[in-house]
Amino acid sequence: MNISFNLNGARADWEVAPGETLLQAFRAAGVFSVKLGCETGDCGSCTVLLDGQPVNSCVVVAARINGSSVTTMEGLLNDDLMIRLQTELVEHGAVQCGYCIPGMLISLYALMKQAQHVDEEAIRHALTGNLCRCTGYVKPVEAARAVAAAMEVSK
Amino acid sequence: MWNLQDYRFAANPAEAVALMRKGPGKGAYIAGGTDMLLEHPNCDFVVDINRAGIGDVAVTPGGDLFLGAAATLQNLEDNDFVTGFAGGAVSIAASHCGNRPVRTTATVGGNLCNALPSADMAPVLLALDATCYIADEDSTESLPLTDFFVGPRMTVLEDRLLVGVALPAECAGWRCLAHKLTRTAEDISLVQVAVALGVEDGRIQEARIALGAVAPVPMRAILAETMLIGQEIAAVTPDVLGDVAAIAAGECEPRDDHRASAEYRRHLVGVLTRRLVEGILSDNREGGTA
Repeated sequence: MNISFNLNGARADWEVAPGETLLQAFRAAGVFSVKLGCETGDCGSCTVLLDGQPVNSCVVVAARINGSSVTTMEGLLNDDLMIRLQTELVEHGAVQCGYCIPGMLISLYALMKQAQHVDEEAIRHALTGNLCRCTGYVKPVEAARAVAAAMEVSK
Repeated sequence: MWNLQDYRFAANPAEAVALMRKGPGKGAYIAGGTDMLLEHPNCDFVVDINRAGIGDVAVTPGGDLFLGAAATLQNLEDNDFVTGFAGGAVSIAASHCGNRPVRTTATVGGNLCNALPSADMAPVLLALDATCYIADEDSTESLPLTDFFVGPRMTVLEDRLLVGVALPAECAGWRCLAHKLTRTAEDISLVQVAVALGVEDGRIQEARIALGAVAPVPMRAILAETMLIGQEIAAVTPDVLGDVAAIAAGECEPRDDHRASAEYRRHLVGVLTRRLVEGILSDNREGGTA
């Protein structure tokens, strides 16, 4: 079946199977920032924004997104907030193998875009769906706090 | 990959039921799909109800809180009506389901219709006297949530559609606490208990105790509730609380599995029931009027 949706600001017309997941469709189309991890909605390495909200693309049926808007890391490479998040993750040594990082960045990006005030509790709640098996969560949380503090100053 | 032949969108509940009956083959409703994509239920097509106009949370003119079946758990967590109803218990319960990206798409209706004994949203909704609204092609039926679950993974629906649940206005001022005990934060629960008390003038006017993951279906501990109704708060001594907890533990029908033994689950029902009742009453003893 055919679906039309907005992918990173451009119209996409894809042919998908009725039972295909959004993750499978992304990987088949070469959108490789979206990582295949658990495929059960637990690890968050396939997190993307569906109409601005983070979802696990492994537990979303691709057919469902017809008419929707989807954002992946590929669409945020020149975004100021995303660049700040990436920079702070690197500065804080939060990246080791890197497999969880695109998903973690998407979750943090969604939080910072939407929340009025971002404290540590909000950051940890936003990252409940992103598992990291290398560094753990202290460094990513510290990196996110640095971005949040900079945003408070610039308000 | 999930072997589906067709993916259909319904624009309203009646159309959803019609699309379900149209065939060919076996169909299933889908909303968030976060459970269905793990299990790939055996069906030929699915009917997507995300665009069927049943995804909103609303307060009726009479003050009931209506949760559309396709309302996402994130919506329940954030919605001001939900956070303001019975101490925000439904919002808090929703915030403990799955994880942030799962809650974006997982829905309250899906959680109930999947009908696991451990359905995360069932105990808190049972404790707040939820009524289910069920659509057929040309009619709508309502029934108490207590009658919705028939057995593990079985509901009264057959090929009809759950359009939402309503919590009565009388429950808005109740105090409700719910607890889900899990091995890890994302695991299926070992035991869930939700307690709701309506307290007026120092007396427990209404009491509900709902249990999850300790019987074939989410259930109410009616005998334990009866012990509390009509009691002066001052009369609910530690001894009385112990009796209430023991009776609730006696009412459930847990089973052994790889997560916990039946005996342990039964013990937890008693512990959690006592803690939650005491948690609500201690707030009232401190002068609150909830």
